Amino acid sequence: MNDSKLKRFFQDFYLVFVLIFLYAPILTMMVLSFNTSKSRTDWGGFTLDWYAQMFESSSIMDALYNTLLIAFISALAATILGTVAAIGISSMKKTPRNIAMGINNIPMLNSEIVTGISLMLAFLAFGISLGFKTILLSHITFCVPYVILSVMPKLKQTSRYTYEAAMDLGAGPVEAFFRVVLPDIMPGVLSGFLLAFTMSLDDFIITHFTRGAGINTLSTLIYSEVRRGIKPSMYALSTVIFVTVLALLLITNFSSEKQGKSRGLPLTEAEKAKRRHVENVRKGLLVTASFFVVAAVSFTTYRHFASPASNELYVYNWGEYIDESVIQDFEAETGIHVVYDLFETNEEMYPVIEAGGVAYDVVCPSDYMIQKMVENDLLAEIDFDNIPNIDQIDPEYMERSKAFDPENKYSVPYTWGTVGILYNDKRLEELGVEPPDSWMDLWDPRLSGEILMQDSVRDAFMCALKPLGYSLNSTDPGELEEAKELLIQQKPLVQAYVIDQVRDKMLGEEAAVGVIYSGEMLYLQELAEGKDFHLEYVIPEEGTNLWIDSWVIPKNARNKENAEKWIDFLCRPDIAKRNFEYITYATPNRGAFELLDPELQQNKAVFPDWDSLQDAEVYQYLGDEVDSLYNELWKEVKSN
Amino acid sequence: MMEHPLIDLVNISKTFDDTMVLDDLNLAVKENTFVTLLGPSGCGKTTTLRIIGGFEKPDTGKVIFDGQDITNLPPNKRQLNTVFQKYALFTHMSIAENIAFGLKIKNKPKSYIDDKIKYALKLVNLDGFENRSVASLSGGQQQRIAIARAIVNEPRVLLLDEPLGALDLKLRQDMQYELIRLKNELGITFIYVTHDQEEALTMSDTIVVMNQGYIQQMGTPEQIYNEPENAFVADFIGESNIVPGTMIRDELVEIFGAKFACVDKGFGNNRPVDVVIRPEDIDLVEPEQGTLTGVCTHLIFKGVHYEMEVTTPDGFEWLVHSTDMCPVGKKVGIHVDPFDIQIMNKPESEDEEAVGVNE
Repeated sequence: MNDSKLKRFFQDFYLVFVLIFLYAPILTMMVLSFNTSKSRTDWGGFTLDWYAQMFESSSIMDALYNTLLIAFISALAATILGTVAAIGISSMKKTPRNIAMGINNIPMLNSEIVTGISLMLAFLAFGISLGFKTILLSHITFCVPYVILSVMPKLKQTSRYTYEAAMDLGAGPVEAFFRVVLPDIMPGVLSGFLLAFTMSLDDFIITHFTRGAGINTLSTLIYSEVRRGIKPSMYALSTVIFVTVLALLLITNFSSEKQGKSRGLPLTEAEKAKRRHVENVRKGLLVTASFFVVAAVSFTTYRHFASPASNELYVYNWGEYIDESVIQDFEAETGIHVVYDLFETNEEMYPVIEAGGVAYDVVCPSDYMIQKMVENDLLAEIDFDNIPNIDQIDPEYMERSKAFDPENKYSVPYTWGTVGILYNDKRLEELGVEPPDSWMDLWDPRLSGEILMQDSVRDAFMCALKPLGYSLNSTDPGELEEAKELLIQQKPLVQAYVIDQVRDKMLGEEAAVGVIYSGEMLYLQELAEGKDFHLEYVIPEEGTNLWIDSWVIPKNARNKENAEKWIDFLCRPDIAKRNFEYITYATPNRGAFELLDPELQQNKAVFPDWDSLQDAEVYQYLGDEVDSLYNELWKEVKSN
Repeated sequence: MMEHPLIDLVNISKTFDDTMVLDDLNLAVKENTFVTLLGPSGCGKTTTLRIIGGFEKPDTGKVIFDGQDITNLPPNKRQLNTVFQKYALFTHMSIAENIAFGLKIKNKPKSYIDDKIKYALKLVNLDGFENRSVASLSGGQQQRIAIARAIVNEPRVLLLDEPLGALDLKLRQDMQYELIRLKNELGITFIYVTHDQEEALTMSDTIVVMNQGYIQQMGTPEQIYNEPENAFVADFIGESNIVPGTMIRDELVEIFGAKFACVDKGFGNNRPVDVVIRPEDIDLVEPEQGTLTGVCTHLIFKGVHYEMEVTTPDGFEWLVHSTDMCPVGKKVGIHVDPFDIQIMNKPESEDEEAVGVNE
């Protein structure tokens, strides 16, 4: 008896363990969606703000709307196409049928990235500009095989005699199909529809490659957020999605169970009435759904074709890199319709501009990437007569910009910052280490296991090249070799090479020092307020990287004047101030700076003295060969 | 042969993937008869039925229905209904909806349909099954529903494609009587396809034995059984001993050197022939009384009778059915009554073995 109790305990334990394993991540996310604090490690109290923010955010709501609409239309179209195709295939002879099914299966086994790229290339080759319709077409394309796959077994089960029987009883071919065959294969068709719907909802890679300006689905939107860490409103959104799916699942399971029970027994009048009622509800739902689709399709078509092309502006910017109300104000003031699109990395943005599938009017790349774009003749000269507010930009930054835009012809600085060392004063005191002031302090053996390094090539090499007295744009193999050796030497002391987690780990007191971008500082210090330690930021004395993100206008821009209006608008001190407050990255705008609190103006982490930046350098584009040398050496460091 | 055929198949040929399934087939079916197409699988019987039903088009030839050419008419325009091998009931509909299907398509009034459903269910002995689901019925019940669904449309011909194939033995026998009763009550033509000779013999007015796309023999069950026209029919219908013999003269045939009296005439003198003797027609007697003698080499108890093999000195194994047992190893004599001997012409070539008699 004791034995069986033990056995039962282990059974229960195992079950609970599996459940925790499966659901702990989702639960974590759900809990965080109610967390007042933005941190992923601290509980700051219960709040519904993120949910409110989610519903207020037009970008999230637009993306949600797009996602659902695309999923619904593509699933519907794929279901019709797939079902018809499956019927055709199933009536083929064996050999052609096997061939057809083989052809059908290949796209499903094909890697998604290949499908995505080839679809994009096909669209561009046939001159179809990327946008809502290309996403829709792509989704239909990749959903059709799944529908065929789920309808085929049902067709195989259905005897072809039922179709013949219906004909035999007087039904014409069409009538026989709709009254007999379709109801028979309906479970397969429905599951095909649901499968297609889910696949479309889930898809990121193919959408990513085939979407155009201003169109985001939830997956691409969430991905854009990654750069600055995912906003808690995304947790809220994910929670809502999860709960919705769960509810749908429960409803489906519950109703099918009930139906199963009543099967085979004679129905009472009440049951018949109920069944009729269910039938009516179903029909009602169907009508509503079709109405929704028609309305949605016409609305979308209207939105895509009726908008005046002459007064548009296609903006391509980093995620979370503007106060969204600024866009609305710009639209209100100028009457220009802004199509706003996001990218996550410079490297992702570049091929989009180069391919020209979407003609963006104004883009916000970083320094070295601007240089590369200038060198490859992708940028148009800005007509500064149209940008009177250029006077507001501190000349110091225009000077610095010459590193990548030698004649100040192509770019207008938007944000800037430095890379430095963040430290926890309490922790360092405990370890008996003085606050760092040099990159070499990251090589202090007393900090073993307390150091967080940036997991990106140029930043990591910068930390080694600077103390060696070399330029962070060094192309000398010998110098780079030395830097590599230095990084390998440091490796045993490093706790981890990370990007985003620096913030969380520092907040969670998991490490004493970390390499970080200055732009994170305001936000971090805010979160650390009220704790028993301070997070301080220093720019090492050997100098550092000074980065600048600037607005540029691509050569293929169709609305260059609007782009210039946009840049001018963003240079207005009040607008620049609002954006600074939202982004918290330092602004090069003198007018905006003067509008700030003196306390903020004095914050050396955000606005360091120019003296301390004497040895700071801007990253330059070093050419593909040197790039790959860097990458190789970095690989050696990481694998050592 | 028949004065007013309801269905007349004229020179029908059909090929599937280079395989000749029907070769210049001619068949006339009289009104109000029970005609069975009998043959092994692949003999073309189902194809013939499907051509009549309109589910296949013949490559050549015509289908005449009541004097009209319906070769190109689709199934839904033909005055006949089919009961399919796997019943082909509509599983998403109730029994009543299944039966009403054809009538609803023809826009019959509701009261008429309801009456018809009641009538048909009564006819197949399933009253009160209106609201049951297909899945809750047994195979035999599903088959009756399939029949009910077909007959409410008042077809002039009911086509049945191996309808009892999926049922167990006892049910199959019950359904055979059921079908005979139905046919008599409805007074319509049944065209029935089966590979089961017992079914064919039990139910049919006329049996059409088919093989390799040809009609081998057509006749009443008695004719088919007792007077097979060739070795294929003899072998296919029941069990039989087919032995080579020589027709000495009319009414005398020599088998393995022994002379047997028979009733057949007109084969000429000293002609080689095939002799068919049914196992139950062989009498085992004392060795000295037999026309031939042999040794019993095999014995199985079959319930109704014993099945035995008697080997004669020439090495031929005679199949014998008898209620009397003969132990293995015992020497016995073989006696056959003259009217139990059936003489057939020897086929002149391998090909001819399959060739039809309709020429």
